[in-house]
Amino acid sequence: MTATLLVVVAFLMVPVVLTFVGSFASEWSGVVPSGFVTLQNWREVLGLAASIGSQRSMGWDTLFSLGGVTVAVPSELLFSVGLALGGVFINLLVGVPIAYAVARYEFRGDEWVNAISVLPLVPGVILGVAFLRAYPNLSGTSFGLIVGYSLLKAPFMVMAVRSEFESMPLRRLEESARSLGASWPRTFLTVIVPNARSGIVSGAIICWTLAAAEFNFSYIVWAKGTQPLALFLQRHISNSSFTKAAAAVSMFFCIIVAITVLLQQVGSRGFDTRG
Amino acid sequence: MATPGDHPDGTGSRLQASVDALGGLVDAILDPTTERDRERRRIVALCAPFTALLAIAGAYPLAEVFRISVSAEQYRSVGFSLQAYETLVTDPYYRTVAFNSIWLAGGTTLASVGLAIPIAHALEKYDLPGEDVLVTLVSFPISLPGIVAAFMILVLLGNNGLVTNVVAVLTGREPIDLAIAVSAPGLFVAFCYSMIPRATLILRGTYAEVDHAAEEAAQSLGATPWQTFRHVTLPQIRPGITGALILTFRTGLAIFGTLIVIQTVVVWTLQISRELSTGYDIQVAGAMATVYFLFTFAFTALGLRYTDAEVGL
Repeated sequence: MTATLLVVVAFLMVPVVLTFVGSFASEWSGVVPSGFVTLQNWREVLGLAASIGSQRSMGWDTLFSLGGVTVAVPSELLFSVGLALGGVFINLLVGVPIAYAVARYEFRGDEWVNAISVLPLVPGVILGVAFLRAYPNLSGTSFGLIVGYSLLKAPFMVMAVRSEFESMPLRRLEESARSLGASWPRTFLTVIVPNARSGIVSGAIICWTLAAAEFNFSYIVWAKGTQPLALFLQRHISNSSFTKAAAAVSMFFCIIVAITVLLQQVGSRGFDTRG
Repeated sequence: MATPGDHPDGTGSRLQASVDALGGLVDAILDPTTERDRERRRIVALCAPFTALLAIAGAYPLAEVFRISVSAEQYRSVGFSLQAYETLVTDPYYRTVAFNSIWLAGGTTLASVGLAIPIAHALEKYDLPGEDVLVTLVSFPISLPGIVAAFMILVLLGNNGLVTNVVAVLTGREPIDLAIAVSAPGLFVAFCYSMIPRATLILRGTYAEVDHAAEEAAQSLGATPWQTFRHVTLPQIRPGITGALILTFRTGLAIFGTLIVIQTVVVWTLQISRELSTGYDIQVAGAMATVYFLFTFAFTALGLRYTDAEVGL
């Protein structure tokens, strides 16, 4: 059993490590990459060095200018971060209440509500086709992408928040707050939700990462303009040299790791100051 | 729709009764008087945002897709025609595509869940050093999209892939002949790369609920580890395994990005994208989307209804 575990971990992780190492090599035509250490691949992917055609790298957008100092960020990165955050925002609005309904109350059809909210309705490709047909003008825009992401990733939010709710003494919390004079909406917003923060934060992290990495839906509906990150990755994997594709993929690894750590930190500190 | 005259009176009054009941429910929600009514109103309010998103982003677009798939004209939803479905049924090409989808998703599901059982067992039952790290490493690929999984397989099994070259050195053959990344087996491995971590996540949840006392009792009564697993642990995790099979199979059918990078086997999702990119045949694409939706809905519903499957994390 342990051997299987170790073999599978190696199968999953060896290519990740090799890709990361390879992204700093100038050549990777043999078995192992060679010509260390160069940052050229990273520079080209991030748009710091000139590149052309389908291997084109990221553009840069000015984030803000302050007293002559201009802070710019790669536009594809910023775009995807924003889209994924928008998706998470909608997920919070729709996911937390329904998770509470399923965890707290018993009502006719609650099994169905539960199943529908935690099972992914359709895969990204199908939803993409549906969006193209139903909202031809809206589907390729940022708003269309955000709405699509939020529907695709909602089950993960509901699951994370629901399991948190299920571990809480909901009825007791609600009744104490009500007996102290709080209205029901107030109880829900100021007692129940803050108490479930760890589940909500982990749900938000999962949804964010999955939305930032979304490819299938984006591929079908995206038409023009700044590309979501996953499409940018695909362009590099299909068109660029192996080392450069490795740099693009490694950059993505870094983002996933960094955001996960960051959101965990914010989640455990930011909310605590209130309670 | 049937007119009232078609029905015997009994049905009509029952219909009337349920309309009244519905009206009563609406009244209760808008102007609750009892605590029970207030609770109902809360449940409706809590479910409303999700329902709105589901209707706007899910149900309406899917209905539109279904509408165009039975339209008599290609780009406008008018009339009724089953032309697109006829194409799907009669053209042997689509049968091959459907067959490809089923065996690829089915095979990788069996392999992934088969591997996930010992992994989850090892993670949950043994006190391994660095267990948290192992859990993180196994879970990491869940957030990788299919295109990245495909790239990982190119790194391992491509022309200058690591495994390819190790095998080439061992057997003395040319790496070019051994590279299987861009082939059906390579695709199979790439699917597993995405699906093993997901199956493991589901089964770890199942294992967390296993009754340890019963296992310890079996052990102390002299059962071997295998006997304990076979007769005590397995019956407890079986619903979880069935649930994992259903969910992983759904994941396998939905994979698309991997196929964009490794285009060797045409499956249902890839074909839908091709219908749109070559000639924008929205009708056939819509029909394929409808068939996909009905198929996954049907087998999930039947799977959950007629097996002891438990779905959840």
